Amino acid sequence: MKNYLVQRGLSTIFIILAVVSLLFFLFRLVPGDPTTLVISPALDEIAQKRLLQLYGLDKPLYVQYCLYMKNFFTLQWGQSFFTQENVSAILWYRFWNTFSLMFLAVLSALFLGAIGGILAAWKRAKSFDSVVLIGVTFFQSTPIFFTGMLLLLLLSYKMGLFPTGLMHEPGFDSKTMLGTFLNIDFLHHLALPLLSAVLYYLSLPLLIMRSSMITALGSDYLLIALAKGLSNSRILFKHAARNALLPLITIVSLLTGYAMGGQVVLETVYSWPGMGLAMVESVQHHDYPVAQATFGLMAIFVITLNFVTDIVYCFLDPRIRY
Amino acid sequence: MKIMKISFVAQQLRILKENRLASAGAFIILLMILLSILSPWVAPYDPWKTNFDKNGKVEMLKPPNNQFLLGTTLYGRDVLSQMLIGSRVTLLIGFFAGFCSAFIGANIGLISGYYGKITDNILMRITDIVYGMPFEPFIIVMVIILSPPKISTIGLAIILITWRTTARVVRSEVLSIRERPYIILAKIRGADNFRIIYRHIAPNILPLILVYFCASVAWSVIAYASISFLGFGDPNILSWGSMLYEVFANGSIRAWWWFIPPGICLSIFIVSLYMVARCYEEFSNPRLRTHR
Repeated sequence: MKNYLVQRGLSTIFIILAVVSLLFFLFRLVPGDPTTLVISPALDEIAQKRLLQLYGLDKPLYVQYCLYMKNFFTLQWGQSFFTQENVSAILWYRFWNTFSLMFLAVLSALFLGAIGGILAAWKRAKSFDSVVLIGVTFFQSTPIFFTGMLLLLLLSYKMGLFPTGLMHEPGFDSKTMLGTFLNIDFLHHLALPLLSAVLYYLSLPLLIMRSSMITALGSDYLLIALAKGLSNSRILFKHAARNALLPLITIVSLLTGYAMGGQVVLETVYSWPGMGLAMVESVQHHDYPVAQATFGLMAIFVITLNFVTDIVYCFLDPRIRY
Repeated sequence: MKIMKISFVAQQLRILKENRLASAGAFIILLMILLSILSPWVAPYDPWKTNFDKNGKVEMLKPPNNQFLLGTTLYGRDVLSQMLIGSRVTLLIGFFAGFCSAFIGANIGLISGYYGKITDNILMRITDIVYGMPFEPFIIVMVIILSPPKISTIGLAIILITWRTTARVVRSEVLSIRERPYIILAKIRGADNFRIIYRHIAPNILPLILVYFCASVAWSVIAYASISFLGFGDPNILSWGSMLYEVFANGSIRAWWWFIPPGICLSIFIVSLYMVARCYEEFSNPRLRTHR
């Protein structure tokens, strides 16, 4: 097992290095001369040359690459072309904004999906199962931004129950990082994005849980439990579900990768100040440092989570021998 | 005794007919394709033309009425015509990108799974790298790099990221088929590798590939709609995603007649694709068959 973990760890490091390198080359392929965004051609020759030297753009490509890798992994991501702020400072609070929404959404989707899957498997081939399956397929097929806009129309514009976007009311200030997340205003603004996200991500855990529960419900030990006279809910939740939960662990990483992509659109609809919105805005403003760093951060997050899920699964399933 | 050979199309029709949901799904997809082909003749107005009323005022944001069956947009354009004409690009890019992505993914999976060792290692490393990148951000980055955004470049970006799932699934299936007796017998008889892959292994994986073909089409449609929604789509092309972008960018969410129809059509199209995909999934994996 140790062998497997070491192998997976090395593979993860390799993939992270490959993705970050790919990012370097991709952004060098941008059409036009990206340096003109930083170094205005209106300046005279000497000033342009000085700026080129300052940014290290006059050095050969492999030297630039080494500098890039060193800076990337020491969290020196440059300055935004648009606001001249440090990119790492911008992304620090944006990451936590996105993480707060994504973590709650994925957790709720897993929890509700698991319960829905258990109940749908128990009442298989009856109308409850069909209704649940159709509902879940419908919400998965509706693009997340459309669900978001529908909820905005119904719950926000027509009924006025929830605010139309952003993370707090304008003018909100809090002294601490935790203070931004632990108040009622945040929860009020969180409700609609969370609902849209959960409806969208619900289908995968539900279907996986349902199919693994169907397999688990056919086992022999459950026959004995039924013969012993245990109640339905005890059999369902204490015996069958525990064994059926394992496949759900494998999709945590899949779901989070999926959620990371969905965040881009979700945050645009609700103007939630997170990494997804940072990605969209940076592309609109041709702000390459922010776009590069945001994409790199998202990719590293997803890859690391895959690795962690592999480790957890390795420990949880004693039947796996590597 | 005569052995009846059924054509490929007839086989697929038979598979779809058995499952009621899949038949409904396939019917809806064909209906949408037909409507999108006939749209220049069916659409009542020119989708790009601003409509004026009798007094010369622009027919801005009119709710559905007798003249405009689905109402008008902020610019006075007919929503129904925009929907019909917009369906062409949406469906076209969906099927084209979905087909290319499934084709590339299936081939990579077949080659990787069959040859094993170094080829498998390299191809799976590449697949892992593509898997590590989140879906929409990658397409956005590709859109910047291949700017200005045209429908061909966005299609290319979509293909470059959607092939990964098909490749992995096909590879794992090939790994199990590779050891079966008839493949080993074919090798003993002297069949070369190309023949074994494409004449013996691929036809058995075809139902699985068709599952992922339908899913790839669905993902491509959602991807293009999302990219257009964010404003990075081709500005000269009308599609359902660009309609939703116009609604959102102008803040006209209260004009429900403008944004609900394209969204509902997107949902119905993707639901139909998933129904067909599920039918093929049950066909390729008999353990999943539940009889009602």
